[in-house]
Amino acid sequence: MNLWPFSKSPAWNEVTYWALDLETSGLNNDDQILSVGMVPIRHGIIEFGAHFYSLVRPVRPDALSAEGVKAHHILPRELDSAPGLEEVLEEIKTRIGHDALLLHYSSVDLSFLQRYFRATGKPWVKPVVVDTVVLLARLGERRLRLEPHAKPFPTGLAAARAAFGLPGHLEHHALWDALATAELFLVLRQQLQAQTLRQLV
Amino acid sequence: MNPIEFVRAHAPFDRLPEEAIQQLARALEITFYPKDTKVLEQSGAKNQHLYLIRKGGVRLERTGLPVLHLEEGDVFGYPSMLSQDAPAFDVLTEEDTLVYRWPQTAVTRLLGYPELAEFFTKGLADRLRLNIRSELPGLVNLDLTLPIRTLISRPPVFVPATYTVGQAAQVMREHKISSVLVEGEPTGILTDRDLRNRVLAAGKGPETLLQEVMSSPVKTMPASTPLFEALNFMVHQSIHHLPVEEDGRIVGLITDTVFMRQQTQSPLYLLRRLERTRDLADLAGYGKELTGVAESLMQGGLGASEIGRSVSSLNDQLIRMLIGLAEERLGPPPTPYAWMVFGSEGRMEQALLTDQDNALVYESESPEAVDYFEKLAGFVVEGLIQAGFPPCPGGYMATHWRKPLSEWEKLFRHWLHSPMPQELLEAQIFFDFRSVHGELSLEPLERLLAQSADHSIFLAQLARASLKFHPPMGLFRRIREEDGGVDLKKGGIAPIVSLARVYALEARSQAKGTVERLQAAARENKLSQDGAETLIEAFGFLMRLRLREQLSALRRGEPPSNKVPLESLSPLERRHLKEAFLQVREMQEALSQRFHTDRLG
Repeated sequence: MNLWPFSKSPAWNEVTYWALDLETSGLNNDDQILSVGMVPIRHGIIEFGAHFYSLVRPVRPDALSAEGVKAHHILPRELDSAPGLEEVLEEIKTRIGHDALLLHYSSVDLSFLQRYFRATGKPWVKPVVVDTVVLLARLGERRLRLEPHAKPFPTGLAAARAAFGLPGHLEHHALWDALATAELFLVLRQQLQAQTLRQLV
Repeated sequence: MNPIEFVRAHAPFDRLPEEAIQQLARALEITFYPKDTKVLEQSGAKNQHLYLIRKGGVRLERTGLPVLHLEEGDVFGYPSMLSQDAPAFDVLTEEDTLVYRWPQTAVTRLLGYPELAEFFTKGLADRLRLNIRSELPGLVNLDLTLPIRTLISRPPVFVPATYTVGQAAQVMREHKISSVLVEGEPTGILTDRDLRNRVLAAGKGPETLLQEVMSSPVKTMPASTPLFEALNFMVHQSIHHLPVEEDGRIVGLITDTVFMRQQTQSPLYLLRRLERTRDLADLAGYGKELTGVAESLMQGGLGASEIGRSVSSLNDQLIRMLIGLAEERLGPPPTPYAWMVFGSEGRMEQALLTDQDNALVYESESPEAVDYFEKLAGFVVEGLIQAGFPPCPGGYMATHWRKPLSEWEKLFRHWLHSPMPQELLEAQIFFDFRSVHGELSLEPLERLLAQSADHSIFLAQLARASLKFHPPMGLFRRIREEDGGVDLKKGGIAPIVSLARVYALEARSQAKGTVERLQAAARENKLSQDGAETLIEAFGFLMRLRLREQLSALRRGEPPSNKVPLESLSPLERRHLKEAFLQVREMQEALSQRFHTDRLG
């Protein structure tokens, strides 16, 4: 891990994590970011009050499908008055600059963030990334050693939460998905008995 | 459900306006505690947060003993957070638990909202009441427990005693009022009814002096009198205008029109109907109207014991009316007698149509008496059935229970001197007896009962019988449901009623009502003041909850029952129910120790 910013791995709860979720118009390279939700975990506590949520005014409004918009609980009208992508990326950057980034399925959201940071001429801040799907897999492997016939944990956010007894939430909404990821992280961290940040990446 | 919706849906936050909810959202913290985490420690570090359980459950323990189980939607931590004292309990998670919490500063800022401040600062008793008031939203109704001062809309209008009737009438027209007060010692009153009946109909003219036709001294009541008492007073005195007095002067006036809108469902209306009844067939529909009366009294904000008294006195009237009809048919009784009611009827704690519990006591035995009272009992019991009172399944009705007084005394003595557990279990409702009608005094039976305090075995057996039913609290003090509901009667009402009976008998009190019995026992130091008050509150809460559930069952066309499904209760009500049950359990344990019921064979 060459990006490691700490000389010695800090205790897991000394680090601030920003759970982040993007809603996008699709999964292709030319798809756009429609909304961002971010929720911080400080000292092991989710500070919901410090959350960040914003819609993003699309560069090409015509490229949005009606179904996609409906699935994300976003109306085209709302997007018109939303801040532009550059402004929102700046908000993201100031938050995750020194902290860990917490994602569920990090590859998708990361590639979007990196691509759009590059596109707007901003250097990517390269935060430490914690991925709840990775943690789920790790926990699954550990369980498999004890119970050879155990099924792997589901990787979908809602299904994984349900597997650990967490309540249902409004899916495909950037803020509530980010919060859902943060809550799932607290449970997984405890299940893994991870004490340091290194044990979580 | 997102966190904000969740917060908004649960007490005490459900009472808060949107802006307060937004403040809560901004200060919200979320945390996760695995099973068996100690969230707060008794006498440990000061608690800085208010907690709301989002998912999971916690257990409150005091010195290692579980006290309360809290679940999704329950709040905890506020007493120690507000007082800034060390927590009074350990709070332990019983399962993996997701918790919402707010820092103390955020909560303190919101205490300006009385909805929140009240919830946090009021004791159990007040919270139970608070909770109950809000249960019928949208129904604009007169709260009959309010003091009459709240109905005063304008200062009283006085006229000099030297005025003529004509001058007074002009003042009434000017002010658009239906009565004026007349200055002087004592104060008088002239109403529009007086103008009609005492002036015009009596052939008098406008020049008649007030002194001749006014009512004086006027009947008044203190401003703090509850409306229902004022209503009873006005009906009893046959007056329509009631001046209200405060600090020795009249501050306003209320008229009976304020009660009119509830007239067809008022107890007085039903009472008048009973007075007109001439035939058993007229009684059909009585039950339904009685239900309406209970409902309107409940909406009027009366407590279960006031409703019980009101309904029981109506039922007394029904019995007297039936006995009157029977005597008309059978002729005068051959010997003095008393119609006795017992059980909830005896305690005046009836609210709806409950099983009949009645018996007959007469002075001297004779073949005529046997025949006469058989017919009388048959008629009255049949009338009660017609009116909608089901027969007592245990057969405790005057059709079976008719004895000369001497036999009753023998029976009571038998219970006192050689109490058999199983017998007492059934007989204990007899100790709630009350005479509804008849010349014969039941004083000999009262005297026997008063001696029960000297029969320690009897009291101990009675105490044991009272422990037969207990609150349905399971492991970790969770409320247990059986067959789709919690039995409020077996689990709470019956245990409190029988506890009160034992303590009252020990205190040599002749009180029959549960509340009065508990008060009497506390006065004689058989029971702590605190203990009595807690039981009285719990009793009121359970009775009211049951009445509310029964009324809504009747509205749905279902038979009323003693069971209430837990999921139909709000989180706050569930919590109060749990608190009430825990109190009952604690008091049962105290009773068991006091009477050493464990040493009985």
